[in-house]
Amino acid sequence: MPNKTTTTTKPKSATTAAKTSPNLASKSASKSAAKLATASNVIEVCRLTKTYKNPKNHQTLKAVNDLSFDVREGEILGLLGPNGSGKSTTINCLLSLLKFDKGTIKIFGETMSPSAYNLKRQIGVVFQEVAVFEELRAQDNIDFFCGLYVKDKAERAKCVDTAIKLVGLEDFRKFYPKQLSGGLLRRLNIACGIAHKPKLIFLDEPTVAVDPQSRQHILDNIETLRKRGATVVYTTHYMEEVEQLCDRIIILDKGKIIASGTNSELKKLVKNKPVKQVAGPTLNDVFLELTGKELRD
Amino acid sequence: MFWHNFKYTLKVVLRDHALIFWTFAFPLILATFFSLAFSNITASEKLGLIDIAVVDNDAWRNDEVFRKAFETLSDEASEDRLFRIQYVSKTEAEQLLADDEISGYLLLERSWFSPQRKALIEFLAPPPADVPPVIFTAKSDINSTILKSVVETVAEQASIIETVIETDPAKLANLAYAHAANLVDQSSTHLDYVMIEYYTLIAMICIYGGIIGMVAVNQLLANMSMSGQRIAVSPARKSTLVLAALCASYIIQLVAVALLFVYLIFVLHVDFGANLPLIILLALIGSLSGLALGVFLAATVKATATTKIGLILAIAMFGCFLAGMMGITMKYLVDTNLPLLNRLNPANLITDGLYALYYYDTFDRYWGNIITLVIISGVMIAISVYALRKEQYDRL
Repeated sequence: MPNKTTTTTKPKSATTAAKTSPNLASKSASKSAAKLATASNVIEVCRLTKTYKNPKNHQTLKAVNDLSFDVREGEILGLLGPNGSGKSTTINCLLSLLKFDKGTIKIFGETMSPSAYNLKRQIGVVFQEVAVFEELRAQDNIDFFCGLYVKDKAERAKCVDTAIKLVGLEDFRKFYPKQLSGGLLRRLNIACGIAHKPKLIFLDEPTVAVDPQSRQHILDNIETLRKRGATVVYTTHYMEEVEQLCDRIIILDKGKIIASGTNSELKKLVKNKPVKQVAGPTLNDVFLELTGKELRD
Repeated sequence: MFWHNFKYTLKVVLRDHALIFWTFAFPLILATFFSLAFSNITASEKLGLIDIAVVDNDAWRNDEVFRKAFETLSDEASEDRLFRIQYVSKTEAEQLLADDEISGYLLLERSWFSPQRKALIEFLAPPPADVPPVIFTAKSDINSTILKSVVETVAEQASIIETVIETDPAKLANLAYAHAANLVDQSSTHLDYVMIEYYTLIAMICIYGGIIGMVAVNQLLANMSMSGQRIAVSPARKSTLVLAALCASYIIQLVAVALLFVYLIFVLHVDFGANLPLIILLALIGSLSGLALGVFLAATVKATATTKIGLILAIAMFGCFLAGMMGITMKYLVDTNLPLLNRLNPANLITDGLYALYYYDTFDRYWGNIITLVIISGVMIAISVYALRKEQYDRL
């Protein structure tokens, strides 16, 4: 483990939630905190290592380096890190899209593999890039991807309808993706990933390049999903999103965990550092303090 | 799961305007273009009777080879009649030529038994003083060329006959008639180079089917598309999805081929003769080879879908070029000098199979092309299946 890493795994406190996100200061925050403290692990990652090899110059890059962490049932885990820190690679390894060099990944207590169809059935993914068919209408896109999980037509129709309502695309069912704005497209992307009501959801920077209103709508959706019982792994560059949503945060840099804990626990890490904030350090301060200020690729 | 993906593959492909254009519209446009461009050429190249004159002298009357050959080629009862002959004196022949009433006249000053026979042929050039000319023509057109060609051929046959007569004179007459009968007009048969254009067009649309297959499979692969990543993390089995996509693609492809045939037969009135079932079989197998090419490129080439479409278009166009789309001479040249290239070129195998149905009395060459197409398709599909089995990637 790196020196800076904290291993506290307590969920976000109700106070913190209220301070960082008044509109999401759920009355049930303390209740869910207690629930999370006793929850079982949905994801268990042990010593995950992934190296990219450049076939041209035979150079190697360790994108994920001996990574170990857990995700508890019902929590929203934030994965933070600068560009190239290994967030997406980690998620792609967890989803069995990428081969990895060593380590183990267990989801719902079972080893994850490309043929672990029962596990995959319980997972939903919202990719960083919008992954929909340009040739299909919004509703058809959701129906197609939901159909990969839900065979029964009637049940699928309900799932699609629920997803459309959740992301607020009721008036855009018949629209083709190119007719949708950036925010609507992101919401369609989310609906395609969660329509089958997964228990575990990976959201890889779902709010990139959307306006504040759409972003807030998306964050509200994620909170709703959590309330329905889903466990969420959330990656983003936006600190305020993490502060607002996440029970626990892992900060990655160069493929390693450099810090983890709740929002308040992370802030304590820089409490005694010379951060120029009257009201104490923000998560952004913490992030920059831990990962440095040099530009990344 | 199969029908779910089958249905949505149809929807996705049929909503892709570029794909629809290349698959359905472009072949029809090209067929129309061929029809407009070449129909007049075909009509103009259909040979009419060629008016010639023969100087009726002793040499002519004694020269049985020339006389029988020209009698055969001017027989009014024959479908292969080529010449309308006037038997005249030399003066009259010169006058007819001057009046442009004949394309040329034939003058034999000695019979073919003459030792100077080999020097008989002179065409549009002043004859040497010691060699009597046999043909006089006024212009250099197709009729003059045909007349010259016929005389050359008869003279060559005369040479053979001379050899035969030295060994077995009894065979002379039969041999002469047999050779003369070989001079027939083939321009009226089904096979002409315009038909080769249509054959290559059919070949091209078969290969274009690869675009549909490529698009359908490309979107299922995690390392090729974002939708592929979403599909890869789902519990759907890739084999089922790929099979559904291929079936949907093949059906669309067959509809496109059927549409082209309907257009060619009923709108452009292209006559495919009596072998239509075999032509359709060839189109089915050809479409399979196109699909296999598309899947092969989708599974093995790491590039954008647009690049892959460009690649298939290039392969199809180049293949059709080698198969004779831009001129039958190219097919002949490649067949002669680089036969292996055309034996591995699906466009040529399809074109050649259609060609073989008309040109040969047996189906050996046709079935040979079918078998080669099946083997090539099988190899490409086998490699694709091996590549598509991959479920995890080193990088995305």
